[in-house]
Amino acid sequence: MIPELTYALIGYSVLLAVVSLILALRNRAAGRWTLVGTALLLVLLLVQTVVSIVLWGQSPDTDGILFFGYLLTALLLVPLAGAWAYAELTRWGPAVLAAAGATVAVMLERMDQIWM
Amino acid sequence: MTGSHRTAGPFRTERQDVAHDHDSAHQPSSPPRSTREARAAVRAERQAARAARSPYSAIHTGPGRTLTAVYGLLAFAAIGRATYQLLLKFDEAPFAYSLSAISAAVYILATVCLVIGTRVSHHLAVAACVFEAVGVLVVGTLSFTHPEYFAHDSVWSTFGLGYGFVPLVLPFIGLWWLVRVHRRVAASATAA
Repeated sequence: MIPELTYALIGYSVLLAVVSLILALRNRAAGRWTLVGTALLLVLLLVQTVVSIVLWGQSPDTDGILFFGYLLTALLLVPLAGAWAYAELTRWGPAVLAAAGATVAVMLERMDQIWM
Repeated sequence: MTGSHRTAGPFRTERQDVAHDHDSAHQPSSPPRSTREARAAVRAERQAARAARSPYSAIHTGPGRTLTAVYGLLAFAAIGRATYQLLLKFDEAPFAYSLSAISAAVYILATVCLVIGTRVSHHLAVAACVFEAVGVLVVGTLSFTHPEYFAHDSVWSTFGLGYGFVPLVLPFIGLWWLVRVHRRVAASATAA
């Protein structure tokens, strides 16, 4: 993992969580830009996946099953949460996105620890 | 079952929420999301039919669906962890890892029962939430008083610290929700 990319990803998922939380508190449904933002998180996670596979040889002590287990879970979680927020026309769509964004941030932090 | 009972409680009903449902401030002149809203309308119709069959289900209201999503998330995390521990590291700490497996099973049970929403599944969900609440309190306490049993983490050790205390809070929110649903169903039964 490239530290800068990881920190950018953690920062972005926290940002998505905070924006979603504000939307939920202001009683807004997830709009187009919220959904595009969620898709961007998925793209960044895919970049992270490619980078991790390319740099895999540089980190021989990393537990591969654990690391890619976390990464695959995050890759599943983000589109599921996005689909949930798309289907939900109430404030509770962004609420799910906020929960997912916070979870992905924590998972990325765990992946960073596993990689070390 | 009509939608009228949904107005009870601190949450807005879906219809009121939809009335406020404008796009975020980023996009003042957004076109109507007709496809999305049409799909949502079709789902709302199906849901009204389902509501008659599953009066206790959490999926009929926005907050209930969110609760289900968070329960599903925790169930997902618990399954992942338990599978990894049981398959690859069971010999290291059989007690802690069996606990992980049991808690994962109970989280799945609670999630499924929240969705099904019959009378039986309602009682099962209550039992699952009570089990989770007792589990996190007992294991959380034991992980401080008898740390030798809990050298390896489970979902419930140190009151769910590794999961942002979600396992500590969620069963109580779940129980509060289930009691609320029970009152609502009881009220609509007497009104009918």
